[in-house]
Amino acid sequence: MPAWIVMRRELGSFFVSPLAYVVLTSWLVWNGVVFWVLTEFYARNAVSSGAASPLSAFFGGSSLFFIPLLVFVPILTMRLIAGERQSGTIEPLMTAPVSDAAIIVGKYGAAIAMWCVLWLPTVIYAWIMSQHGSVDWGAVAASYLGIFVLGAYFMAIGLLMSALAPTQIIAAVLAFVALGVLFTVGIGEFVFDGAVRELCAYVSMWGHMQSFSKGVVDTRYLVFDLSITILAVGLSIGVLKARRQG
Amino acid sequence: MNDVSFRVEPGEIVGFLGPNGAGKTTTLRMLTGFLAPTSGEVHIDGIDAVKSSIAARARLGYMPEGVPLYREMRVFEYLRHRAALKGVDAITDAVDRSLELAGVTDARRRIIGQLSKGYRQRVGLAEALLADPPILILDEPTSGLDPNQVRQFRELVRGFARKKTVLLSTHILSEVEAVCDRVIIIREGEKVADLVPGDSETSLEDVFAELTASPPAGDAS
Repeated sequence: MPAWIVMRRELGSFFVSPLAYVVLTSWLVWNGVVFWVLTEFYARNAVSSGAASPLSAFFGGSSLFFIPLLVFVPILTMRLIAGERQSGTIEPLMTAPVSDAAIIVGKYGAAIAMWCVLWLPTVIYAWIMSQHGSVDWGAVAASYLGIFVLGAYFMAIGLLMSALAPTQIIAAVLAFVALGVLFTVGIGEFVFDGAVRELCAYVSMWGHMQSFSKGVVDTRYLVFDLSITILAVGLSIGVLKARRQG
Repeated sequence: MNDVSFRVEPGEIVGFLGPNGAGKTTTLRMLTGFLAPTSGEVHIDGIDAVKSSIAARARLGYMPEGVPLYREMRVFEYLRHRAALKGVDAITDAVDRSLELAGVTDARRRIIGQLSKGYRQRVGLAEALLADPPILILDEPTSGLDPNQVRQFRELVRGFARKKTVLLSTHILSEVEAVCDRVIIIREGEKVADLVPGDSETSLEDVFAELTASPPAGDAS
C-alpha cells in the first residue's frame, strides 16, 4: 500500500534524525516541569476550580498544556512536504506511480504516529498519581481520546502548512500562527457574549480539553476535530495537485 | 514552453539539447508527470500521460536534475523503499540487479549523504532502473561526474541501445555524439532541430551554435 510505504519512510527518517531526540527529550523535560508544578499547586492549595485533579489539569485543564504544543506541533509537521520540496526529493516522490492522496495520507499517518509517540510516556504520570491516590481511569481514557482527536486536527493543520510553504521554517511559522490564532479565538469564550461566545467556545481547544480531561466526551468537539482534519488533509491533497500545474 | 513536439521510437537513444533555460527540465518534468502541461498531449508507451498519469509514470525510470535523494538513508534502504513505492514484486532481486547495473554494489550499505557526487548520480540511475522500465528519462545525467565516470556512464547507456528507450538531456555536445541516435534541440521552449548526429557536413557544435546562439527573430529589442 503506497501510503504505508510513504509513512514508513517518513517515520524512519524522523527517528534517525537528531531532531527526533531533541524534540522528544525537550518535550518530556517541559511536560515534566508542568506536571511537577501542577501537582505542587494541588498539594499546597485546596482547589475548587474547574479542573478537579492534577491529572485533569495536566491533560488540558490548564493553559500550560497548550504552550508546549504550539511549539512542538509545527516542529514535527514542518518537514512533511516542505522538507521534501527543499531537498528536491519531492520530484522523485511525485513522479513515482502513486496518487497524490496516497502521498498525503502517508505523510499524515506519520504525523499521527509521531503525535502518539510524543504522548506515550505521559502515561507514567497517571501511574505516578495512582500510587499516591485514586485515579479516575475513565477520565484518563477520555483525556487520551481528547488528545488524540485534538492531535489529529493539529497535525492536519501542520501538514497543510507544510504543503503550502516553500521552506520548512515558513511551514513552522505558518503552523504556529494558525494554531496560535485558533487557541486565542477559543479564549474569546471568556470575552464575548451571545453567538460570538458560542462560536469561540466551539473552537476553544481549552474548553475542548477541559471537557475531555474531566471524562466528558463531547461529540460536538469530536465532530469539530474530525471536520477540520478532513478539510485540512483534503486541502493538502489539493495543494499537491495544484503544484503540478506549475 | 511553446511548441515542442517530438516522438521517440522504442529502443532509440535520444539527446535533448538546448542552452540553459531553454526548457529542457520543464519538458522532461511534463513527460514524467511532475508538471502538468497547460495544453498539448503527452503519450508514454502509448498511454495518455495527462489523463492516466500514474499508469504512464509506472512505465518510466526518471533521474531528475541534481539527483535528489534521501540523504539520511543507506543506499539499499533507499532503493528498497523506492522499489516498494513503484510496486516492484521481487524487491531484493530488483535492488541487487540495479545496484549491479549502475555499478554501486560496493556502496550498498553506505549512507547516501556521505557519498561522492559520482556515486549519488549512480544511485539515482540505479533507482531509475529499479522497475526495469521500458523508458528512461535522464536529466543531465553526467553533470558533476569526472571524465572516467562520464565514460562509464556512456558505456552503460550505450548498453541500453535497442533494449530501452532513452531520452537524456544535456548540454555536453560530445556526449550526444557519443551515445545518441538522434538529437532534438530546443530554444526558449521551442523545438528548433531534430537531427541525426554525424549526418550533416557541419559539426553538431556548429549546428547548435547556429540554432541557439543568436537571439530569436523578432526579439531584437
